[in-house]
Parts: sequence; structure tokens; C-alpha cells
Amino acid sequence: MSGGRDLWSAPLGEIPKDRVKAIWEVLQEVLDPEIPISLPELGLIYDVAYEEGIARIDLTFTATACPCMDFIREDITDRLLSEHWIDRVELVEVWDPPWTSDRITLEGREKLKRMGVSA
Amino acid sequence: MTDALDLSTLNEDQRDALVRLIVTLADSKRLMGIRYSDWTLGAPSIETGVSMASMTQDEWGHARLLYAMLKTLDIDPGPFEYERTGDKFASVSALDREPLDWAAVVALMVLADGALSTMLRSVAQGTLEQARRRVPKMLAEEQYHMSMGSAWYRRLADSGGESRRLLAVATEDILPGLLAWVGVDDAAARRMVAIGILDSAADRLALYRDEVREFVALVGVDIDAVLGTSEWDEVRGRAVGRPDEEACERARGDRNRALLVE
Repeated sequence: MSGGRDLWSAPLGEIPKDRVKAIWEVLQEVLDPEIPISLPELGLIYDVAYEEGIARIDLTFTATACPCMDFIREDITDRLLSEHWIDRVELVEVWDPPWTSDRITLEGREKLKRMGVSA
Repeated sequence: MTDALDLSTLNEDQRDALVRLIVTLADSKRLMGIRYSDWTLGAPSIETGVSMASMTQDEWGHARLLYAMLKTLDIDPGPFEYERTGDKFASVSALDREPLDWAAVVALMVLADGALSTMLRSVAQGTLEQARRRVPKMLAEEQYHMSMGSAWYRRLADSGGESRRLLAVATEDILPGLLAWVGVDDAAARRMVAIGILDSAADRLALYRDEVREFVALVGVDIDAVLGTSEWDEVRGRAVGRPDEEACERARGDRNRALLVE
């Protein structure tokens, strides 16, 4: 378990109509353990799918030996399972295309800039 | 790019050859990490030591991804990672012994890590889908290793005297085994070439020679005059020999085996 969990919102009260969109929004609350911007902002989430209670997340890591892999997996899983309409989380590790800092979103770059970090 | 290979169509010989290829790459990465890690505290400067720590991390990440490729053949990587004795390790012979001086480490960075990248580039362009998807990230990380290694190789070579002499000794020591490994052309390697997983031995060898030619020339070695070692172990796909036992124990993580909790 890593930091940032105290910033998580309460689970959604109703089942969202667009569950994939809702999952992306929920993932915006899951921060990278080392860089305090969200996993989507860091560009680590490659795809999201939802079907019959199963959320499937395609994710990558900044490095092949990222020491935070287990923290990230655990944080994603715990946050998503807090939603009553998600029964199971499938995490698929992908490396194609390789992550580079080019994948950090504009919002992520702005946040990093405010923290004095260039990307 | 050619179509991806359907692994379910492999016959037993092809499957065994692919396992051998994956394991020799993965073992080499694991051992490379061991050798680099030993120099985290022994490098010439603090900054260099930090670089060695970072490179160690990369190598072990690459090993993890490579061992995991065995799963595509429905093989559990666990026994390969944690249960083999040293005589079963398939890492390149250049990593059999601890590098005794910094010049030997620098030679490993350029020549051994470079040989691994040559083989990985070949695999990444081949028909093995899992490699196509994983290896580009490894090669991206390896660029930094080569930057570090090439800068140090030139520095030591240009400095002359004992530094250059030690670099020449290390270079001449490991090159024959690496040339044999990159240019492997035995039955198993030919099977990999035949189904498009590897480039031809001649192409791989030519590429590797081109990549290291200018470096080894700095210490007076003509890469085209060096021959690969003839003592070859076809079962493991590496030169005859084995890594030292302590390195194998560390690669397997024997000391803390009981604490491995998945």
C-alpha cells in the first residue's frame, strides 16, 4: 500500500451508465507512489475495459524493474474494488509501446511543473 | 514485419530450441545484474556507483520479463529462476567470473551487454510476438548502459598505461565466448533462424562485430581476427564452463528462499 489513499473519494453511490469512463475517472485518484500525479496522468494506463463486473486494466510501468509495481497493482485493485459494481480487477502488464516521458499528459506536466519537476 | 509465429505449431525440437534461447538471454541478464551490483560500492566514483545500481535494476527487470516469456510455452519459470544448479545456467561465459577490476566491468558493459543487445534486437525483429512487445523497452533502457560503457571504454583506452592494458586483457578474455554466443550456428540456433525468431548467424555476427569494432580497436584488438571459442555446449547454448557458485546462489536468492512470498 502506498501514499495518496487519504485522497480517495467515497465510492460512487449509483452504478454509472458509462462504466469505462467511470473507471478512468476513478483511476485519476490513484497516484504513482513516487511521483504524486495520477497513473493516467503519468501515462501508465494503456486501456480500460469493463464487462459483467470485471474491470480490465492494461498498464505499463516506467521501467522494467520499477520497484513500485506491487504498490501500483495493489492501489489500482483496492480503489476499483471499493466500487460496488466492480467484482473483479484484471491487471494486464503491457510493454508495447514502451513508456517514455512523452506519455505524460498535459495535466500531468502542469502538476509536475508546479512541483518544480520538469518532464 | 513478418507475421507472428503461432507457438502451438512448434514441434518438440523447435520448442526446446526456443526455451534454450529464452533461458540463455534471461540467465545472462540475471548474471549481468549480479556482476554490476558488485560494483555499486566499488566503482571509481559515487556517481558511477549509482549508475551501476541503476543498471543492476534494469538487468534484473529484463531477466524477469525474459523468464516470464516461458509462460507463453506453458512453462513455469519458477524452477528456472530458483532451482537450477550452476552447471545448468546458460549465461554467457563472459559472466562466469567476477570482474576483478573496473576495466573488466567496463569491458562487460560494452562487449557483453552489447552482445545481449545484439541478440535482443534480432529477437525483437523476428516472429516471436512476446519479444516484439517486450524487448523494445529493454533496448530503450540499454541505450543508457551503452552510453555509460562506451564513455568509460574510451576514457580508459585513451588514458594509456595500466588502465589501457587491463582493458585490453579483459577485452581479449571475454571476446571469444561472446563471438561464439552471438554467432551460434548449431542445430538449435538454425531452428530459430528457420522459423524467423533469429536472424542468421552471419548477420548477427556481422552486426556485433560492427558495433564493437571501433571500441576494441582502441586497445589494439582487430575484431575480425578474433575467433569464437570452439568449446561449445549445445544443451545450454553457451561456451563450455559455468558461473561461480556464489553468483549462482545469489542469482537464485538461496539465502532468503524461505522468505519468498508470492
